[in-house]
Amino acid sequence: MTFDRVPIVEHALDTALAALSASTRRLAPRDPVAAGSTLDAATAIGLFEDQVLSRALDVAARELKKTNRSFYTIGSAGHENNVVLGAQLRITDPAFLHYRSGALMMARARQLPGSTPAFDTLLGIVASAEDPISGGRHKVWGSRALWVPPQTSTIASHLPKATGLAFSLGRARRMGLSGELPSDAIVLASFGDASANHATALAGINTARYAARMGLPCPILFVCEDNGTGISVPTPTGWIAESFGALPHLRYLLGDGELDELWAVTAEAVQHVRRTRQPAFLHLPTIRLWGHAGSDAEQVYRNVAEIADIEARDPLIRNARRLVELGVARREELCAIVADTRDRVMRAAEEATRRPRLSTTAEVIAPLAPFHPERVAARAARPTLTDDARRELFGGTLPEEATTPNARTLAGCINAALTDEMARRPELLLFGEDVGRKGGVYNLTNGLQRRFGPARVFDTLLDETSILGIAQGAGHLGLLPLPEIQYLAYLHNALDQLRGEATSLQFFSAGQFRNPMVVRVAGLAYQKGFGGHFHNDNSIGALRDIPGLVVAVPARGDDAARMLRGAIAMAEEDGRIVVFLEPIALYHEKDLETDGDGGWLTDYLPPPATLLPGEVGVHDADARDLLIVSYANGIRLSLQAARRLRGEHGLRARVVDLRWLNPLPVEAIREHAAACRAVLVVDECRATGAGIADAVIADLVEHGVLSGGIGSVRAVDSFVPLGTATSAVLVGTDQIVAGAIAVTTHARAGEAVRA
Amino acid sequence: MKAQRGILVLPGRGAYTAASRGALPADHDWVEHADVLRRALGLPSLAELDATAFDPSVHLQPIHAVPLTWLAGMLDAERAALDHGIAAVVGNGIGFITALTATGVLGFDDGFALVQELGRLQQRPLPGGGRGGQVIYPRTDEAWRPDEALAASVAATLGAASGNGQGTVYESIELGAFDVLGGDDAGVERLLRHLAPVRIGERRYPLRLALQGPDHTPLAAHLAAGVAERMTGAAWERPQVTVIDGMGRRWTPWSTDPAEIAMYTLDVFLTTPYRFATALRVALREEAPDLLVLAGPGSTLSALCGQAIVAEGYRGIRSRPEFEDAQRRAPIVLTIRR
Repeated sequence: MTFDRVPIVEHALDTALAALSASTRRLAPRDPVAAGSTLDAATAIGLFEDQVLSRALDVAARELKKTNRSFYTIGSAGHENNVVLGAQLRITDPAFLHYRSGALMMARARQLPGSTPAFDTLLGIVASAEDPISGGRHKVWGSRALWVPPQTSTIASHLPKATGLAFSLGRARRMGLSGELPSDAIVLASFGDASANHATALAGINTARYAARMGLPCPILFVCEDNGTGISVPTPTGWIAESFGALPHLRYLLGDGELDELWAVTAEAVQHVRRTRQPAFLHLPTIRLWGHAGSDAEQVYRNVAEIADIEARDPLIRNARRLVELGVARREELCAIVADTRDRVMRAAEEATRRPRLSTTAEVIAPLAPFHPERVAARAARPTLTDDARRELFGGTLPEEATTPNARTLAGCINAALTDEMARRPELLLFGEDVGRKGGVYNLTNGLQRRFGPARVFDTLLDETSILGIAQGAGHLGLLPLPEIQYLAYLHNALDQLRGEATSLQFFSAGQFRNPMVVRVAGLAYQKGFGGHFHNDNSIGALRDIPGLVVAVPARGDDAARMLRGAIAMAEEDGRIVVFLEPIALYHEKDLETDGDGGWLTDYLPPPATLLPGEVGVHDADARDLLIVSYANGIRLSLQAARRLRGEHGLRARVVDLRWLNPLPVEAIREHAAACRAVLVVDECRATGAGIADAVIADLVEHGVLSGGIGSVRAVDSFVPLGTATSAVLVGTDQIVAGAIAVTTHARAGEAVRA
Repeated sequence: MKAQRGILVLPGRGAYTAASRGALPADHDWVEHADVLRRALGLPSLAELDATAFDPSVHLQPIHAVPLTWLAGMLDAERAALDHGIAAVVGNGIGFITALTATGVLGFDDGFALVQELGRLQQRPLPGGGRGGQVIYPRTDEAWRPDEALAASVAATLGAASGNGQGTVYESIELGAFDVLGGDDAGVERLLRHLAPVRIGERRYPLRLALQGPDHTPLAAHLAAGVAERMTGAAWERPQVTVIDGMGRRWTPWSTDPAEIAMYTLDVFLTTPYRFATALRVALREEAPDLLVLAGPGSTLSALCGQAIVAEGYRGIRSRPEFEDAQRRAPIVLTIRR
């Protein structure tokens, strides 16, 4: 027997409406619904229409599910009082919405004539390619025209970027790049009571309060729609008020009571945020009807009496009573709204099922990772600064003319490249921990705050989630953020901001929203005198599996400057998210073989010199005995090994620097592999899935380009220990030499060797 | 079986043609009453005009054509309401005023006053001189497939600099498969000269619409001033069924503020582009009709309705042949007049 409470709740609504008293009066459309109320009668009826419409959409989703024609039944039923937010916030107030935002969206769309919010929602529910926001990729609340960037919001991972956008509004204005949003725009972020416990929710709220404490504008309205339950787990009574009701730098308001009372509290909250540019927290008690989703068997964890108790608090019934009691509408009118809405929504739902769906891989992935090399290259080349302007920028001496070794290191070149890019691209924003006054823990951002000011180069609070949240928010606004994550190991604290949010935005919005960024991360191992895992993390596995993410890893200064330009141009032109992973141990390295040889210093290559994905670095291009494929520290070690191989074993090794680890430059690798008699992959990341060795070897084997042996040397599957013990787990030159001998002398064609 | 859900579609001024003769039964209460109001203004009887052989120089004069269109639409709207379940009403141009009177937003006398005053004012030269006009230009080919070259020609012509004797041009009506552009006299000349010539079926475009002024553009601001004065004291009500306006906004019987619909009608409606195609799209998507019931006079909107259905892919109809086939089997666009 199926347990279906939908008809019961629908019937209860009909019964309650029929039982309403016949009103003796009807207020004029612009009469306040009650003395002193700012809610007028016509608006109040509009709210009720939108609430009924939202309810009808939930019913339709469940009805279509019975015949497997809908794919999403997480509904808004019981949460319809969020309609007041849809009516009160403007469509130029960016909104990051909870997944129960049906009524809110219906009301918001009302502000834009020509919108078709009911049908748009139905197209999402049936996963049609015509769904105007995601194109059938997910049922999300979103709209470009209504400034609702889409997300699933199930784990509150949208709060950091909502706060980031609120923070960036002020930043953009200070930079003179406000874009399409008015100067008094505010941000809305809504979420459920259970979601309020997520670390990301707390991070978003904390960062908004931190900004307020610092005297920085952060106009965001947090709305907690508190239905008292997270799927089956009850939220402790009073938990939300206890947790958020008395936090400094966060105005808390309770949106309880009748519809008109909620209207007044919401207006107060919105006005507070708009006027003070400081955060507020609106606590909106709701109920949840029909379980968490269509598949959630609520009767397993609640008895029927409990379920009926909740249903008796249906906001539609309460609001209908209030509207009639206040003389806003007559009983027959409310009944007519319900009847007409149900009729048109069920018919529209049938129509939605006839609309096309995505079918091919190409259709699905079209917005995932756009890359237009010619346009990116053109973007990287412009604009140019005059030599005089650059000379002034760099204090008299251009970095390409510098002769001091410190200016020709990896760190020196990155610093110069950042300076050049900041100067020629006013939309760039650089931030992170210690990047401002200190100039970075490794001096990479030295002098940037002094040159470009604290509006564009600033220190953040110590929270990687919020750093990436600010980056996403700034990206939404059309700025180009360059956030810095101090150590690779710290990125994992916040990785879902890239994985679940930033890289998915273009995909779930069919390319309509974007949050481009280049995330600079200091990482990988081999630091002398500063050991231990947290500062020497050698795994990029968690980055390489993120769809659409670009991972760039320069080994030398001249490469780094050109790759950084390519990364920034990809972000600007195609909206891409790039992780620019900088090998810490090479930052200040000057030598290749012996102390003082200066073999790791390079000239700075000024703009417009650029490298793009696919473009690899080749050392000893004529060598054919062996191909060594590597990156970062592995390149320096491989070049050292190559010299020994030639001198001690008569083997000439061609060393290819991948530079781009996601997507891998597979065509270039195949081409070089086909030209050499054996292949050795030198991967400084941990052996199992942490680096690129598996992928490179699999690709070469699958494409049958090998004429001799293939093998790899990799770091041990261990966290990096402190002190001299590091050499016991990391790849060294001896290992590379041994691996090279193994693949060139012992292996037959296509045979694999692990050194 | 569920009742049918219909959208009533009301045509604009150009719909009253030679074929419309006899649309107004002289003994109908509304026709008689309208003629009483016409006589009071010293204007000839609509019933008599309707019974007379069509003379473009008479019948197309706005002072006659506007009320003729409106009254014929009203009579058909009454019939449609009896024969079909009408859930929402859409009008094109003056058909929007018909929608307001057919749904009770305006009473008969106020509605008549509004259309008659509009017709009278449209008879006059523009405040800046000349009469201006409208030019129609296609967006699709004969098979109703969007043609980007045509859209680009419109965009280029609208985007070209005004002034220096080039006149002013504006978007006037968005019909979906066609654009109607409006301008002053020099602007109309520019449209006719600059829009790339194209032939669709028997017709050549750009085509100037006979005796039409630059309605739904800023050049019609004087109409707004005039009718506002004439409509002082008119009683505006909520509609009895949902009306969708020229921006695609749904005015429901419940939440509509009559003062707001009055403000729209007497200003925005007259001076900004009328997006008929948007209104139809909203009707199809949000009202999910079984039928588009097309009132007279004439049936010229029938193709536009078909094109809107094809553009939307409504009920799986995605091409002209599919639409024509559907019409043969079970009509989705029902024309009251031929």
